[in-house]
Amino acid sequence: MSLCNDPVIRNQWHVICALEDISPRNTHTTLLGESVSFAANTDTTGARAWRTDAPDTSLPVTCAYGYLWTCLGTADKPLFALPEYAEADRRNVCAATVGVRVSAPRAVENFLDMGHFPYVHTGILGEQPHTEVREYDVTVEESTNDVIATRCRFYQPMAAAGADGGMLVEYIYRVPHPYCSVLYKSCPSDESRLDVIALFVQPVTEETIRAHALVSVIDENSTDLSIRMFQQTIFGQDKPILENQFPKRLPLDPRAETPIRADKSAIVYRRWLSDLGITYGVIPAAA
Amino acid sequence: MITLYDYELSGNCYKIRLLLSILGIKYHSHTVEFYPAAEHKAPWFRQINPLGQLPVLQDDDYTLCDSQAIMVYLASRYDSGNSWYPRDDPQRLGSVSRWLAFADSITNSASSARLVEGFFYDFDAVACRAEAHRLFRILDEHLWFNAKSGHHWIVTGDSPTIADIACFPYIMLSEEGSISRQDYPAIRRWSDHVKRIPGFTVMPGIFPAGPAQ
Amino acid sequence: MTEQTLKTLDRARAARQWHPVATSDDLRMRHVYHGQILGRELAVWRADDGHVNVWENRCLHRGVRLSIGINDGHELACQYHGWRYANRTAGCTYIPAHPADAPARTICNNTYPATERYGLVWTGEAPEGTAPDAPELQHAGNHLLVLRSLPVNAPLHLTAGHLADYTFYRSDHTRPATQVSTHLRRAGEFQVAVDWTDENGTSALVFFLQPTDNHRTSVHAVLATSKPPDNPLQRLKDHNFAMSLLRDRIEQAARQHPTPAAFTVASPRVSEALATLPKLAATGRKAPLRVVVKSIRDVATEIKAFELISVDTQLPTFQPGAHIDVHLANAQVRQYSLTNAPGQTDRYIIAVKREADGNGGSAFLHQSVRVGDTLAISLPRNNFPLRRDAVNTLLIAGGIGITPLLAMAQTLKSADHPFHLHYFVQDQSHAAFPQLLSTFGTHISMHTGLSPEQTRTTLANTLEGYKPASHVYLCGPAAMLSAARDLAYRMNWPDEAIHFEFFKNTTDVTTDQAFTVELARSGLTLTVESGQTLLHTLRTNGVELPSSCEQGACGTCRVGVLDGEPLHQDVYLSDAEHQRNDCLMTCVSRARSEKLVLDI
Repeated sequence: MSLCNDPVIRNQWHVICALEDISPRNTHTTLLGESVSFAANTDTTGARAWRTDAPDTSLPVTCAYGYLWTCLGTADKPLFALPEYAEADRRNVCAATVGVRVSAPRAVENFLDMGHFPYVHTGILGEQPHTEVREYDVTVEESTNDVIATRCRFYQPMAAAGADGGMLVEYIYRVPHPYCSVLYKSCPSDESRLDVIALFVQPVTEETIRAHALVSVIDENSTDLSIRMFQQTIFGQDKPILENQFPKRLPLDPRAETPIRADKSAIVYRRWLSDLGITYGVIPAAA
Repeated sequence: MITLYDYELSGNCYKIRLLLSILGIKYHSHTVEFYPAAEHKAPWFRQINPLGQLPVLQDDDYTLCDSQAIMVYLASRYDSGNSWYPRDDPQRLGSVSRWLAFADSITNSASSARLVEGFFYDFDAVACRAEAHRLFRILDEHLWFNAKSGHHWIVTGDSPTIADIACFPYIMLSEEGSISRQDYPAIRRWSDHVKRIPGFTVMPGIFPAGPAQ
Repeated sequence: MTEQTLKTLDRARAARQWHPVATSDDLRMRHVYHGQILGRELAVWRADDGHVNVWENRCLHRGVRLSIGINDGHELACQYHGWRYANRTAGCTYIPAHPADAPARTICNNTYPATERYGLVWTGEAPEGTAPDAPELQHAGNHLLVLRSLPVNAPLHLTAGHLADYTFYRSDHTRPATQVSTHLRRAGEFQVAVDWTDENGTSALVFFLQPTDNHRTSVHAVLATSKPPDNPLQRLKDHNFAMSLLRDRIEQAARQHPTPAAFTVASPRVSEALATLPKLAATGRKAPLRVVVKSIRDVATEIKAFELISVDTQLPTFQPGAHIDVHLANAQVRQYSLTNAPGQTDRYIIAVKREADGNGGSAFLHQSVRVGDTLAISLPRNNFPLRRDAVNTLLIAGGIGITPLLAMAQTLKSADHPFHLHYFVQDQSHAAFPQLLSTFGTHISMHTGLSPEQTRTTLANTLEGYKPASHVYLCGPAAMLSAARDLAYRMNWPDEAIHFEFFKNTTDVTTDQAFTVELARSGLTLTVESGQTLLHTLRTNGVELPSSCEQGACGTCRVGVLDGEPLHQDVYLSDAEHQRNDCLMTCVSRARSEKLVLDI
């Protein structure tokens, strides 16, 4: 297993486990090809993490958004902000953690993609013949350097419980971290606010991941179980597509694949990864 | 009223959903969170099935566990044509039992490898994959010769049986355990046939096939 | 044999050879076969017309394996975004995310040559010559039996070495043991032939080795007997048993050696043009294709269908609604819609109505063009793309305007999308392609011999009750088309739901008056002389504009007007659009004012 020598990725915070799944017992996982252990603190709140082969040392940790995050290099920046998580009336659910044989950037790109909804999430996030991806806007925001896609609209069957037929749902996508993306969508119970679904990808190796989902919604009706089952179904449907994608690492050479207008967010995301100098989980474009 | 204790991503539960859909039987699905909550090991569920396994079927006051047993029950009770579980044909019936046992072996190997990769179970994935390949070779040979004699299904005859449904899910999900089906063309063609059975339905991880010619 | 086991496969040389990738039997029932040669994965599928496609196993959009895709008998659809690729060409015919667009670029998957021989499907990366001969199988009167192919987890040379020792075992112990002897006839790198003799006499058995990857091999085998085998199934079983045992031995032997690394295979890069989002291409009229008239047949009174096939290369991909320019020997250029069904990619079929008062194009095709003639045609162009995301689609044809709608109706029918075709004709004998029409069953209504008033009433009934996500496609004579468009607007069909194609401009177009144009963005002022078109003047001054029909019917050469009053003369724009005076068709429009300012 090759170790990660991409300094940008090494110095990032990476998700490793849902806080609710951490016990005082030592648990092992793999991050960037290295074995990492973690356990809940017995005396204080929170958890600690360490390299499995160096139990006497500690890795930096952050507990945020329902998950434990660590860093194998130098965590020179705080983890990205997700202020909605702290809003008192939200339901925050750690919805799923699933292993997938694909690179982290491929998983993020799939999360940004609407065109596959009618084919992969049939009857849930989309449905034929409503296949059109309407024009939307993508920018890299200057202050935060996040990729932001706005005005994304897609036909969703049964968009709201009790709704007769489907409707156009509006989404905003945000990429605040090379391996994480946040989706904001109109909230059925409160028009002034947005529901949040976040994908946090743990890079196990360059070509395998653990995909973690956070759902943060204003919803008094759904049970946690139904929220988790919904997200597991979505991940379960994406998994065979991602595992049949080749190459597994995301090619940054513009001539590797064929984009269309619907892929604007992917085009910007790939360019953004190039500009950040990311090499882990991607096939960099030849200089 | 039929209640199925069900988990969407379980191939064993999918067997029952698939047969219910093909037989056109309405049912209520009661979700049991197999992963990550391991609710099938919870005390309330072990009162229903002491083995702590999914699926479980309740038909009014009759409760039955084990996916193959449930299929035998559903086909015997609700398939008026007697084709899915051919009770009147001793030889075909014997063959059905043989392949139901084979399907259990597929579950123990291919499904276990999938649990390692997708759900972080601690099994010997290498051994599971080797065993699955051994089983797939046997099934591929069987299906190739059946097809040569003009039969598309696992048990010789003109129509599918619950043996096809028993083997189908964990074969189709094998790649989630890094078990490629590339070397099993007869299995791949057979899976197209299963996908074209009227009433066929998918689960996450399994794609539909195109229309028959 | 030891030497052979150490030998490695010369990939560069093997890439220039034909290799078996599947048996012909593997491609039945609209299956998509997952094949592999020299480490390169292939999606292998047979269309309903029998053609075998061998494609790179990667959708060039996002790299998803096409072997998990759907073969509908005519096209292969990717599971990820539903992109459809045509039989033969592998050209993309439809991108569901942009249902209103004709795919703007020539998007085409990577294909490899394919041929069938000895019951096997052969391909290669860049094979030279023809698929290899096996002299033992060539004897006239030989009966060929294709045995069950076996994939082996061992390198090719190791496998070939063991096959030379192939011995025949009896699998059925109920039969008396008979003397079976085998004799090696020849052993090559990719072929091994043995003779074997039993109570039926001597037969030839040829093994063909497929270099799946550096460490994986598939063994295909064909048996040649001088008389038909009595019990072919038993023979297949006998050999399968023997080959399976041999496979165990080969794999055991392979485990004694280090496993050679899998080949690294580069995915082909897409062209420069496909790597970026498309810009509007500036192209003039060109006739790059040469086609041969394969057949001409009468398909209705005064209407002939021409079947056009390519002289040498594969015809380019088309989409429903597309047309071609036919450049006639009398120096005229005429547009004809393709009537083809999806996947019918080995020919173009156009229908030509003989126009009594036409200016010679249709008369020339009817009288002068013969089977076997070569015609120069343009690439297919689509000004009339078909959306496939409609809840319901109405197709309304008048007379020869049926042609693009035939392609659409066949596409919608094949995908099981709801549609209804209304066909207005003078009488039944003028209805083109009656056999094809009959296949539309309840999806077609014929309207024969209606007066203009009756036509209006029927159109009004047809267009009544617009429902969201419905679309209507109109093609026919100018009068009927304007009537239908006006009715549709009045019945609240939104602009974007009304699609139409004129097949000719019946306006008397004048070119008498000279006028001046100012090109705001190019900074040019030009004079359009009398007798010349604005389009021609622009082109001769180096301003490239796309165009198609060049008679004010298709809308391709539309440009914006910033100032001045155009003399429109086209039939493409609606009356309301004409009155806005904010755009014109450079092929026919001129100026009412002395000067026009254009937004180019």
